[in-house]
Amino acid sequence: MDLHALGACLTTSACVVTQTTSGLIVGMLLFLVAAGVTLIFGVLKIVNFAHGTFYMLGGYVAYTTLGVTDSYMLAVLAGALSMALFGVVFERALISRVYGSNVLMQLLICYAVVLIFDDLVKIVWGPEFHAMGMPQAFQVPPLFIAGGVVPPFYAVLIGIAALIAIVLGLGLSMTRLGKTVRAAAINAQMVSALGVNTTLLFAIVFAVGGGLAGLAGALAAPVRSLSPGMGFSVLIESFIVTVIGGMGSIAGALASALLIGLVRGFGTIGFPQFTDGLIYIVMIAILLLRPQGLFGRRL
Amino acid sequence: MKGNRRSGTRETAIAAVALLIVLVVPFVHRSPAFEDFVIRLSSMALFATSLNLLVGNTGMVSFGHGMFYGLGAYAFALMMQMTELSLPVAAMLAVLFTTVAALCVGAICVRLSTDYFAFITLAFQMLIYSVIISWQSLTGGDQGLRGGLPRREIFGFDLASQLHLYQCCAVVAVLGLLALRHISASPFGQTLRMIRDNESRTGFLGVVLWRARLWAFTIAGGFAGLGGVLAALFVSGAYPELADWPNSGQAIFAVMLGGINSFLGPVLGAAILLALNDAVARVTEYQGLVLGIVILIFALGLRRGVLDFLRVAWSKDSQ
Amino acid sequence: MSAVITRRTVLAAGTASLLAAPWVARAQANTLRIGMQSILSGPIALLGTSSRNALMMEQDRINAAGGFLGRQIEIVYRDSKGQPQEAARIARELVNSSGCELLIDAEASSASFAVQEVVRSLDVACIHTNSETSSLTADPKIRAPTAFRVARQGVHDAVAGSIYLAEYASAKKLNKWATCSPDYAYGRDTTAQYLQFFKQFKPDLEVITEAWPKLGQPDFTEVITKLIQAKPQALFTLLYAGDLSAFVNQGNIYALFAQMAVATPNVDYPVLAAIKNLPAGIQSATRYLETFPDTPANKEWGQAYFKKWNERPTNWSWQNTVAMQFYEQAIKKANALDGKALAAALSGMRIYTPFGVDGTITMRDDHTTIGYAIGWGQTIPKEPFIVDVKAADWGKIIELETEWKKQQRYI
Repeated sequence: MDLHALGACLTTSACVVTQTTSGLIVGMLLFLVAAGVTLIFGVLKIVNFAHGTFYMLGGYVAYTTLGVTDSYMLAVLAGALSMALFGVVFERALISRVYGSNVLMQLLICYAVVLIFDDLVKIVWGPEFHAMGMPQAFQVPPLFIAGGVVPPFYAVLIGIAALIAIVLGLGLSMTRLGKTVRAAAINAQMVSALGVNTTLLFAIVFAVGGGLAGLAGALAAPVRSLSPGMGFSVLIESFIVTVIGGMGSIAGALASALLIGLVRGFGTIGFPQFTDGLIYIVMIAILLLRPQGLFGRRL
Repeated sequence: MKGNRRSGTRETAIAAVALLIVLVVPFVHRSPAFEDFVIRLSSMALFATSLNLLVGNTGMVSFGHGMFYGLGAYAFALMMQMTELSLPVAAMLAVLFTTVAALCVGAICVRLSTDYFAFITLAFQMLIYSVIISWQSLTGGDQGLRGGLPRREIFGFDLASQLHLYQCCAVVAVLGLLALRHISASPFGQTLRMIRDNESRTGFLGVVLWRARLWAFTIAGGFAGLGGVLAALFVSGAYPELADWPNSGQAIFAVMLGGINSFLGPVLGAAILLALNDAVARVTEYQGLVLGIVILIFALGLRRGVLDFLRVAWSKDSQ
Repeated sequence: MSAVITRRTVLAAGTASLLAAPWVARAQANTLRIGMQSILSGPIALLGTSSRNALMMEQDRINAAGGFLGRQIEIVYRDSKGQPQEAARIARELVNSSGCELLIDAEASSASFAVQEVVRSLDVACIHTNSETSSLTADPKIRAPTAFRVARQGVHDAVAGSIYLAEYASAKKLNKWATCSPDYAYGRDTTAQYLQFFKQFKPDLEVITEAWPKLGQPDFTEVITKLIQAKPQALFTLLYAGDLSAFVNQGNIYALFAQMAVATPNVDYPVLAAIKNLPAGIQSATRYLETFPDTPANKEWGQAYFKKWNERPTNWSWQNTVAMQFYEQAIKKANALDGKALAAALSGMRIYTPFGVDGTITMRDDHTTIGYAIGWGQTIPKEPFIVDVKAADWGKIIELETEWKKQQRYI
C-alpha cells in the first residue's frame, strides 16, 4: 500500500489527468468486450461464459487476415464478421438446446467450448504467443491533450467504443428491431405469439454479441499478445463489468467499465499489489447494496 | 420415520461394505496408481458432494465453493507447519475454521436470489484467492506453502506411507459422506428440498428461508474444508490453485456429470472426471479438446448426470 | 428384453472401462522410460513445448549412440497445466504406473516444489530443468537428496545483472530507476534480489516508483502512464514472454522507450521474433543466444534446432538438453539408474557442453549448476538481436551467492 504516493498523485494535476485518461482508455476497451455479455444476458438470460473465446478467435482471425491482406481495416472486419457468424452457429448448435435450463448447464456447455477452442487455436496457430504489431498508420507520436497523453490509436479505439455504445443504446430504444428485442427480453413467448420469428431474433442477438467480442479482440490485437487461453482474463473482467453495471444494461456496462478503469488507474498508484482485490471488493459491495447492479432492473 | 431409520441402517451397511472393499484391495494387490486415485477421489468426492448439498438439495448455485476447499487446505497445512498440534487436532481445527469462514461468507451472501448468489460467491472466491496470492509472508503467495508437511505419526499411522494415507483418506471420506447423507435425509434436508422446489410456499409454512440456507451453506463449507484437508495431505502442502475459480468449476462438473438428484451422483462424477483426466493425460496433450467434447456429449446427449440418467432409464425399463 | 440388457450392459461396460482405463498396466519392454512433465497447454505452453523439442532431439542422439546402459530410451511426456497438485500426481504416476526410472521435471517454479516433495518420498533421480527459484536447491530444508537443478538460478542472474547494470548506470549517470515486474513470487523475489545487489554496487541508486502488473494482464495502459509520470531515467522490468511483448507494443505507442533507458533479463528468441517494433538499445541478458558463447558448437546446436522445429530454441531448450547430457555422463559413471547412485555421481560432476561459458558446466554439491552462459548486451531490431555481449564473472557470482546464502541462513 502506498497512500502517500496516491495523495501526491491526487494533488498534482498532471498525474490526475494522465491516470484518468488511462482509466478511460482501459475502461472503454473493457466496455467493448463486456457489451456483448450484457446484451446476450439482457435478452436471452444466458450467461455467455464462452465470451472470452469469441474475443480470442476474433484476435487470431484478424492476425491471420492482416498477414494475408496487409490491411488492418480488413483484419478488423474479418475478426468481427467471422465471430458474428460463429455466434449464430454457437447459438443454433449448442445454446438453443439449453434455453430455460439450469444456469449450470449453460456454464458446462460454454466451458466445453472454451476448452475445445483453446486447444484448436493451439493446433492451428501454435502454442507460442503472437503479436500483431502496430499498423503503419498509427505509428505516430502520442497527442498531448490538457496535460494528458493520448496515443492516436487509443483515440480511435475510444471513438469506436463510444460509437458502439451510442448505436447499441439508440438501436435498442429507437428502432423496431431494438424494441422487439427488448420485448422478447421481457416475454419471449408473447413476442413469438405475435408473429415475430424469435428463433431468428435470438440468433441475431448472438451474432451481435459474438461480433462485438470479435471486434474487440481484433481491435486490441495490435497492442496485446495473442495466446491460447487469452480469453480467460478478458472473460473475468467483462463478467465483473456486467455484474457491477447491471446484467443486461448497456449504459450500466459503460458506466461500470469506466469505473473499473478508474479504479485500475488510481489503484496502481495507491495499491499496486492489490488492485484486483480492490475491484472484487467493489463488486461485492455493489452486489450487497444493489444486487441488480448500478443500472440494472431487478430480475 | 420408521422408513427413515431403516434406510439409515441400510446406508450405514452399504458404506461399511464399500469401506471394507476399499480397505481390502491393497492386501490383495498393491497398485500405487489406484491408491493415489482413491486418495484424490476421497478429497474430490467430499468437495463435490458438499457442493451438491447446495446445488441439488437447496437449489443454491454457488460458483465459489472452491474457496472453502482452499481455506481448509491452507488452514490445515499452516497449522501443521507452524504448530506442534497432532494431525487429527489440526484437521479438526481446520474444518472448524472453514466452517466459521463459511458462516461469515454465507451470512453476507444467502439473502441474494439465485443468479446474484452465484456471482457474489464467485466474487468472494476471487477476493480470497487474491488475498492468498498477496499475503505472501503467510501463504507463500503463488508458489504455495512449500517444504512439505511434517509427517507426525498418529495411532501408529504414518502418513508418509502411501498405504496408511490411503486407508486414512478412505475412512474419512466414507464417514464424511455418511454424515452428509444423514443430513440430506434428515428433516432439515427435507426442508432444504422444499425451499428448492418452492421457496414462497416453504416461507408460508413458517420456515425462515435465509436461516435454513445459511445452515446449508455453512455445513457445505465445512465439508468442503475437510476435502481440502485431504488434498493438502496428498500434495503435502497447499497451493492457491486449490482455492481458484477453475477448481470450483471442477466440483460443478463433477456434480453435473454424476447427477444432481442422486446422492452418490457427485461421487461418481468426481470419479469420472479424475479418471478421464488421468486417462486423457496419458494419450494426448490436447486434454481440453477431449474433455470439452466429452462434456458436450454428456450435456447435450444425456441432458442430465450419469446417475440421474441411469435412474430414469432404469425406471423406464422396469415398467 | 435383449435390447434392455444391451443398453444396461453397454452403459455398465462403458463406465467400467472408463474407470479402469488408467490402471491397465503397460507391458514392460526393455526400453528405459524417462518421465518428463511440464506445462504443455495454456498461455505459457511454450515452456513445455520448447523443452520437449530439445528432449526429443536428445532422445534421438542418445539412442543413436546406443542408449543408456545398452537400453534404448523413451521419454514419456505429461502435461500438468502448471497446477501443483496435478504435478504431484503426475510425478507419482510416471514412476508408479508408467514405469519411468528417471524424471525430468520441466515445470515452472510452483509445480517444481510439489514435484520435489514427491521425489523426496520416492527416492528416484530427478532433474529440475526450468525452475529458477533459488530456494529449491539453496534451502537445505527444501533440497531433496536425489533431486538436482540444471537451470539458471535466480540469485546467479541477479548478481550478474546487477554488476552489469551498475556499470552501465554509472557510465550513463542513471540514478533514478523504476521497476515494473509481474505481481507474483518470481517477480517480487527476483526484483528484490536484483535491487539488493544493484544498490550494493551503486549506492546512490534511487528507486522512485514500482509497478506491479498482474501476470497475463491484457492491458498495461495505467502501468505505462504511471511509469512515464514518475519520470525515471531508467526502467528495470522482469516481464517476460507474451506480457513483455504486450508491454513493449503498448509502451511504444506512448513513446515510453524514448523517455527512459530500459533493462530486462528476459529477452528470449520468441519474444524477439514476436515483437514487431523492437526498440534498439534495451539492455538485455541473454537467455539463449546462438552467438553467445560464440562457439561453433553452440551455433551448430541452435541451427539444428531451428532446422528441425522451424522455430528458434528458448532458454528452456538448452537447459533440458544439458539435463540429458548430465544424465548420460552420470549413468556412465555410476553404471546404475537408482536415485542414490546417480546422486553420488552427479554431485560435483563437470561436463563438456556448448552452453557453458567456458565449454563446461558443473553440478555443484548443493545440487545446482554453475558455469552456464550468462551475459548482458544490448538489443538491435535484427539478427543477432543482442550485440556487445559481455560475459558475467562467475567468481564474483559465487562469492556474492555465498554471502546471500549466509544471509538467508541456508549455510
